[in-house]
Amino acid sequence: MPLDKEAIFRTKARLHDYIPIVGRGTIEALYALAERLSGKTVVNVNSTFSGGGVAEILMRMVPLLNQLGVDTRWMVIKGNESFFTVTKKFHNALHGKREDITPEDYALFLEVSNKNMEEMQLTGDILFIHDPQPVVLIKKKGEIGEKWVWRCHIDVSNPDLDVWNFLYQYVVDYDATVFSAPNFARKLPNRQFLIHPSIDPLSDKNKDLPKETIEKVLDKYGLDMEKPIILQVSRFDYLKDPIGVITAFEMVRKNIPCQLVLAGGTATDDPESDKVLEEVKDRASDNPDIHVLLIPPESDIEINALQRAATIVMQKSLKEGFGLTVTEALWKAKPVVASAVGGIQLQVKNKFTGLLCHSIDGAAYALRLLLSNPEYASWLGKNGQEHVRQNFLITRHLKDYLLLFLSLYHYDDVIYL
Amino acid sequence: MIQKVLEWLFNNWLSLSAPIIVFIAFIVVSIWSRKRLFSYLERVFSQMGWEERRTFLDKTKTPFLQWCLILGAYISIQLSPLPLNLKAFLGKILSSLFILSLTWTIIVLLERILHIYLKKMDIFPSGTITIIINGLKIAFLVVAILIMLDLWGMPITPLMLMLFIAVFIAIFAARDEIINIFSGLEIARNNLIKTGNYLKLESGEEGYINEITKTNIHIKTPDGKILLIPNSRMLRSVVTIIKKQLKQATQPFRFSARLHLKELTGLKAANVYDLVDMLKKVDDAVIYYHTHNFIEEFQYLTPQPANDFALWVSDALGDQVLSEKLSNIDTFEFSTIGALRERIIDVIQEEIAKRQDINNAPSGREFHFIRSISAVIPTPYVAHDLREFIEILKLVSLDTLYFHIFESRLRLHKGVNDFSIWINDCLGEKDLADEIAVLDPYTYTLEGLRSMIIGIVEKHLEREYAVG
Repeated sequence: MPLDKEAIFRTKARLHDYIPIVGRGTIEALYALAERLSGKTVVNVNSTFSGGGVAEILMRMVPLLNQLGVDTRWMVIKGNESFFTVTKKFHNALHGKREDITPEDYALFLEVSNKNMEEMQLTGDILFIHDPQPVVLIKKKGEIGEKWVWRCHIDVSNPDLDVWNFLYQYVVDYDATVFSAPNFARKLPNRQFLIHPSIDPLSDKNKDLPKETIEKVLDKYGLDMEKPIILQVSRFDYLKDPIGVITAFEMVRKNIPCQLVLAGGTATDDPESDKVLEEVKDRASDNPDIHVLLIPPESDIEINALQRAATIVMQKSLKEGFGLTVTEALWKAKPVVASAVGGIQLQVKNKFTGLLCHSIDGAAYALRLLLSNPEYASWLGKNGQEHVRQNFLITRHLKDYLLLFLSLYHYDDVIYL
Repeated sequence: MIQKVLEWLFNNWLSLSAPIIVFIAFIVVSIWSRKRLFSYLERVFSQMGWEERRTFLDKTKTPFLQWCLILGAYISIQLSPLPLNLKAFLGKILSSLFILSLTWTIIVLLERILHIYLKKMDIFPSGTITIIINGLKIAFLVVAILIMLDLWGMPITPLMLMLFIAVFIAIFAARDEIINIFSGLEIARNNLIKTGNYLKLESGEEGYINEITKTNIHIKTPDGKILLIPNSRMLRSVVTIIKKQLKQATQPFRFSARLHLKELTGLKAANVYDLVDMLKKVDDAVIYYHTHNFIEEFQYLTPQPANDFALWVSDALGDQVLSEKLSNIDTFEFSTIGALRERIIDVIQEEIAKRQDINNAPSGREFHFIRSISAVIPTPYVAHDLREFIEILKLVSLDTLYFHIFESRLRLHKGVNDFSIWINDCLGEKDLADEIAVLDPYTYTLEGLRSMIIGIVEKHLEREYAVG
């Protein structure tokens, strides 16, 4: 299936636009790397053109790689509803959740995968396969392409071993695998690279906003512009510990005037999220300083405005993936209080780019510390912003992908290009 | 007709033979006198030590003979019994030939000798020299044409008037250019402003002179822009020459950038015993990553956190004593990764020996060993002297600075940073090279390090190359 051009051109950012943010040298280096890939075609394969983090990343990366002169394409596999129900089960199982996966499910997965192998007009030199859904395409390795890479966007450190062992037989045939964080990976016999996710500073979710837009959003949700805002942006999920956030806030609110904003949506594939939302609303109903905002999808500007208006951003998750909401907050130079879980630890270096906590009391203490010491909070925020600039923007992601493609053809730890 | 001519020749053979004899005599005397004269001139010029004598003698030897023969022919014609009007006509032809030959010889000599002399004087840029020579050539040619026209009785006054008007219009049209050219000549004559000088104009612009052309001077400003200052403005302006011409490197410095990718080894440690075991096994690229990762990842922080091992021991194991000991390892002391690895292992083992219990990291907070994959790419930036070096250092990415300072010294086993090697080997500035070499780069942010190196080189230039 060819690339959905309308979708791809929705990304209007030009590489030149990133120069004021990351510097000319960074963009020049990208061009220099891309030049070394001249003549190679990179083909990305995943399961959807829209919806989900992978599609969002590819939507931005593919046009930028092409701007750099690397012939980059994007294809998706086809599958019916039953197939995607199975892959959703796989996804949950790889995250360690107990799922009832039957032999028929595995058979269906293989049947659809084989059909895709027959029908897809796969070409290219580097085949970049994203996540488990298209993993079986590796069986085409002998016929198509020079190098095959499996990009695993999910945490497979503690998976359901039945599912993992099933996928393992395909994963090991790839020339290399890529993980988002060291503790998301499993030991594999092939080369494993570490490439963190990124945010796009020019996207609606992260671009600079005029003061009026921010005020309009605060006004819309009835927030007091004079009172410090503590914000957590996340879907309503027990793993994001919204009740813990409220408890910590209440401890702080006793002595320091401030307001709490819990902003997020409910997940359609998670029946628990409505229940969590109700519980949160109940818990917050007596406190006028707690605002529970159900934000519809595609409200990137509103989320951006709330993050920019916040005094402190929290992410008190009990379990977390990479935690891109933390990256977004850091990019906006906000002091962050976050749990030391998942990819958050890569972004928040305790007392350098934010404060890590391990309990509700720890979170409350960190909030009090930051609200009482705005200069220290500001220092952490600025450090956090620089940390993201150096390590978690899309330009770094582009650099890593280019280096990954080049590394597939070199085996030394110092490569002279 | 032929019979009439033969008859005339027969009747006048005596009056004809005299001019022929005179002409033949002129040929003989000319050849003889040319030989003697040019031998004499060769001797005299040699004694004078005139280097361009060969060019002069070569270019005038043939014309000299031509001029003698023209003179001989002229005298012969005057002695001949030819009619007066014919004599006058032939005289004009010979005079014209003489003027043409003389003009051509002068032009050739001008082109060769003047070019050499003006170049030797080194006060005019090559463009100006070409203009001077071409101007003189045109002037001589115009004078020759006017003399010939006058000789042939043509009215030259209107022509001279037209020529004057044309020259006036040309001068008026190109007045700025001409003013700039003459200003350029004046600047060149003063011999104060030269390529490589660092100067400041009263209007505030400053920078290094990149190039001097016949009409303007190219100044490269500290932020890399090129300013074209017209020579006339330069002449009118109060100019402060701050620095003299810089020493040129025997080999230019080519800047490279280093970009890195992280490769997972799949190895992890849950406590200090595991850590030591793995430290003994992993390759140098892993040790390098964990002792240098912070420099790039936290390049904006002063002080930067110490190495990854110290941070993990503190954060995940809660072992502050060991963390402090690991933080205190000065990476700059080591010139090989092997030696650095040994030191880290020794520090941990010494501390373990004192302990009865050790802590395990909580699940999910193990130490993951990562290998650094470096890609080195050449950049378009090349420095030929210290000023260019500084200007480029201000522009290059931090990846470039990192490569030449950290990666080259330790990972590529050079022992010293690339900048010091170049400054010492290619510029012969040993003191400056040493001053940069002893700088401990691990105690600065990368931006701080960039400023520090630029500051050291600026001070050196101020000291060594400032005027006065």
